[in-house]
Amino acid sequence: MASVSMESKTTQTTVGVPPAKFVPPRTVALYAVLTALTTAVTMILVIPLPTRGYFNVGDAMVFFSAFTFGWRAGMICGGIGSALADLLLGFGFFAPITLVAKGSEGLVAGVLGRAYGGATWAKVLGIWAGGSCMVTTYFVGEWILFGFGNAALELPLNVGQVLLGGLIGLALSQAISRYRNPRPKAT
Amino acid sequence: MTAFIDLYTESGTFLHRMDPRVKIVAVATLSLLALIMSHLVYLLVLTAVMVVLILLGRASFQKTMLAFSYVFRVMALIVVLWPIFNPGGTPVLFELGPIRITEPGIMAGIATAVRIFCLAASWYLLMFTTSQRDLVCGLVKMGLRFDFGLSLAMALRFLPTFSAIVESIKDAQRARGMELDKGNLRKRARDYVAVLVPTIITALKMADMLSLALQSRAYGARSDRTYVRELKMLAGDYVALSIAVAVFAIPATAKYIFSIPL
Repeated sequence: MASVSMESKTTQTTVGVPPAKFVPPRTVALYAVLTALTTAVTMILVIPLPTRGYFNVGDAMVFFSAFTFGWRAGMICGGIGSALADLLLGFGFFAPITLVAKGSEGLVAGVLGRAYGGATWAKVLGIWAGGSCMVTTYFVGEWILFGFGNAALELPLNVGQVLLGGLIGLALSQAISRYRNPRPKAT
Repeated sequence: MTAFIDLYTESGTFLHRMDPRVKIVAVATLSLLALIMSHLVYLLVLTAVMVVLILLGRASFQKTMLAFSYVFRVMALIVVLWPIFNPGGTPVLFELGPIRITEPGIMAGIATAVRIFCLAASWYLLMFTTSQRDLVCGLVKMGLRFDFGLSLAMALRFLPTFSAIVESIKDAQRARGMELDKGNLRKRARDYVAVLVPTIITALKMADMLSLALQSRAYGARSDRTYVRELKMLAGDYVALSIAVAVFAIPATAKYIFSIPL
C-alpha cells in the first residue's frame, strides 16, 4: 500500500532517535499511586494516644505495598511516601531518617513476605523483621538527634505502631489479593 | 491532625525566586551546620538567622505555627528529658537517687533543642518557598531520572485526591454504621481495613487509567526529551549557592581541621 520511499522515511525518523530507557508506564503509575496513598494514609489516619503522640497507620501501606507488589515497591513507595508525609507535616528534617526506616521496612518485608508464595507465616515474619528495622532505625536516629530520653520514650510507641500497621497491612494484602487474583504478577 | 497538604506560600520574595537546586543544596548545608555545632551561643545565632530568613520569605503565620507545633513539643521534651539521661560534669544542681541534674546537662539539653529548631527551620524554609513542581524540576535537573521524577510529581499531584477519597470513604462507612472514633485497637484495626480496602481498589483502578494515559502521550518514545520549563541559574543564584556552601565549609574547617571549639 504505502510506497517504499514513504515507509523508509517513517522508519528513519524513529530509528534516528532511540526510545528512552524508562521503566514501563505501568510501574510509574503504580508507584506514584502507592506513594501518594502511603503519604495520604500517614497524614490522615492517625490515632491519638492518651499519652503524647499519635499512631499513624502508614506502616500498613508500607507492608501492603511490599506484600502485594514486591520489595522494590515496598521500599520505594513506603520509604518515599512516609518521608513525604514528614516533609508536609513540618518535620522535614526527619525525612531522611524516615526514608531509611520505612524503606528498609518495606525492603525486608517484601523480600521475606513473598517467600513460599506469600504464605501467612512468611508475611508475619516479614512484618517482624521489617518492623525491627524500622524501630531500630528510628531509635538510633532519635537518639542521635533528640537524646536518649526521647528515643526511649518513642520506642514503645513505634513498636505498637508497627504491630498495628502489620496487622492492618496483612489483612489488606489478603483482601486485595482476592480482588487481584485474575491479574498477572507484579515485580 | 489537620495539616496543610502543601506548605508552599505564594509570594515574590528573593527566596521564592531562587533556583530550587540552590535551595536544596542550602538545606543540606544548613542541616549539616546545625548538626556539627554544639555551642549554644552559635546555635542561637543560627536560629536568629533562620527566623530572619523565614520573616523575609513572608511565611504565613498560621502555616508556620502548624508546621512547628510538633517541633515545639519535641523541643520541650528534650529540655526536660536530656538532663535526666545525660548527667555529667559539674556543678550538680539536684540529686535524687539515680537521677542527677547537672548544669552542663541542662545547657546541652537546651542546645540540642535549639539545634532541632534550626534543622526544622531550614527544611521549612525550603518547603514554603518552593512549589512542588519546582522541587521536582530541581531534582530532575540535579540528576534524578525523568521517569522517577514523573512518578514523584504524579504522587504529589494525587495526594490531595487520595486524601479526599479516604475522607469520603470514611464518611461512607460511617453512614453504614462504622464508628471510627471509638473502640479498642482491634476494633479500630478492622475499621481501618474497611476504609482502606475500597481506597486501595480505587487507587489501583486509577493507576491502570494513568498508565494508559502515559502510553497515549508517547511516554518514553524518544530519549531526547525537551522541557517546557527550563531552570536557569542566574548570577544571584550562584551568589546564594556560594554563601550556602561557605556557611557550612568555614565552620566545618574551623572545627575539624583547626579544632576551634564550635
